Amino acid sequence: MVKNITIFTTKTCAYCPMVKKYLAAKGFTYDEINLDDEPHRRQEALAISGAMTVPVTVVTRQDESQHIVVGYNLAKLAPAIA
Amino acid sequence: MSDTKNKHDVIMVGAGPAALSAAIYTTREDIDTLLLEKGVPGGLAAVTDMVDNYPGFPDGIEGLTLAANLQKQAERFGAVIDFAEVSSLKDEGEWKKLETTSGDMYAKVVLIATGSDYKKLGVPGEAKYYARGVHYCATCDGAFYRDKRLVVVGGGNSAVQEAMFLTRFATHIDLMVRSKMRASEVLQQELQKFVDDGKITVHLATTTDEIVGDEAKVLKVVGTDTKAGKQVEIETDGVFVFVGLKPNNEFLNGQIDSDEIGLLKTDENLMSNIPGVFVAGDIRSGATMQVASAVGEGATAALKIREYLEGHHDIQLEA
Ligand SMILES: Cc1cc2nc3c(=O)[nH]c(=O)nc-3n(C[C@H](O)[C@H](O)[C@H](O)COP(=O)(O)OP(=O)(O)OC[C@H]3O[C@@H](n4cnc5c(N)ncnc54)[C@H](O)[C@@H]3O)c2cc1C
Repeated sequence: MVKNITIFTTKTCAYCPMVKKYLAAKGFTYDEINLDDEPHRRQEALAISGAMTVPVTVVTRQDESQHIVVGYNLAKLAPAIA
Repeated sequence: MSDTKNKHDVIMVGAGPAALSAAIYTTREDIDTLLLEKGVPGGLAAVTDMVDNYPGFPDGIEGLTLAANLQKQAERFGAVIDFAEVSSLKDEGEWKKLETTSGDMYAKVVLIATGSDYKKLGVPGEAKYYARGVHYCATCDGAFYRDKRLVVVGGGNSAVQEAMFLTRFATHIDLMVRSKMRASEVLQQELQKFVDDGKITVHLATTTDEIVGDEAKVLKVVGTDTKAGKQVEIETDGVFVFVGLKPNNEFLNGQIDSDEIGLLKTDENLMSNIPGVFVAGDIRSGATMQVASAVGEGATAALKIREYLEGHHDIQLEA
C-alpha cells in the first residue's frame, strides 16, 4: 500500500506533467516540490535520486520502504505504486 | 490475427507535432486513429523552452504549452494516445503489423512521425556523468545549475537556443563549437547580446574531447583549439550537449527507403515504398525540421491517408 508520494519538478520540464497525469489517472494524490519555487531543495532531490534531473518521484509505502523513480519511466513507476 | 481492439484504420508512430496535427485531421473525419508514443506527447517541441517562429503566436509560445494544446485538440476529436514504443513494422499486405510494448497492433495505414533524438558526443566521461553533470535537455535539468558554470557543446540552432535559456540559471556559459557557427543569423544576433554581457563565451573551432570529474561530479571539459593546435581546459559544473539529431528509424530495420542520413524517403503523397505506410515531420527525407513544417506535413499526410483509405474501403475489420 502506498502511504504518500512526493514529486520533485520544475516549471519547464515536459516529463513532470506526464508523471502527475499518470498518478492522477491511477487515483493517487501527491505532494509536489517545484525546484523553481524552492531551489534550496535541489540538493535533497539529488541526494535521493543520484541524478540532477526532474521529475524524481518518491513513493513511500506503509512499511516506510521507498521507491525512487527518476524521469518519466512507466516501467518503474507502475510497480512502485502497485 | 488478434482481436479488433488492436486493429485500427490508422496507427501513428510518435505523437509529436506532425502526428498530432495529422490526428486532428483524421479523427475529425471519423477515421479511427491511435497514436503510439514512447516519450512525451508533443515530441521535441514539448521539451523546447520557447517556440518563437510558429505562426499565429506573435509573442512566441512555450513548447510545453504548444504540445499540450496540440494534444488537447487531437483528443477533442477522438484521437487516442497509447504510451508504447514500437519495435517493429511488418507489411502483411492490407494490414500492417506493429510490435509494441503494449502488444501487437494492426492498422490499414501507418503514419511514421518518429522525429529524432539527441545525438551523443561519444567522448570519455559522457556516459559516466550522464544525468550527474552531462545533460541533453535544458528545460528538464537546467534548474540544477543555478549560480553554477556550464559548458554547452554545439553550434547549431538548438545549442545556441539552449545556451541562452540556460543563462537563466548559470552564472556563465562556455559554448564549445567544433568548427564554425551554424545557427541562424537571427539566433546569432541574439547570442551576441549574451556575449556582450559576458554571460556566454563562444569557443569556435574547439572540439570537446573529454569530460573530466571526480567520483561525484564533473569538474572540467578538455578540448582542442584546432586553429592554435593546443589543448584547452574549461572548468565547469556541468555539460549540456546539443550536437545534432539522430533519426528514430531503428525499428524499421531498413525496410523503408532512406537517404544517406537515415531520413525516410516518400513520394509526393508522403507515402513510402511500402503502400499504406506514410511519413511526416522531421523523420522524412527533405524535412525542414521546424514545428510549422511538421504540422503542415501532418495535415498533408492525413488528407493523403484519407484518399488512400477511400481507395481501399474493401478492407473490412474482422469481427
Ligand atoms: C532544442 C530544440 C529547439 C527547437 N526550437 C524550434 C523552434 O523554435 N521552432 C521550430 O519551428 N522548431 C524548433 N525545433 C524543431 C522542432 O521541435 C521539430 O521540428 C518538431 O518537433 C518535429 O516534429 P515531429 O512530430 O516530426 O517529431 P518529434 O517532435 O521529434 O516527435 C516524434 C515523437 O515520436 C516519438 N517516437 C520516436 N520513436 C518512437 C517509437 N519507436 N515508438 C513510439 N514513439 C516514438 C518520440 O518520442 C517523439 O515524441 C527545435 C528542436 C530542438 C531540439
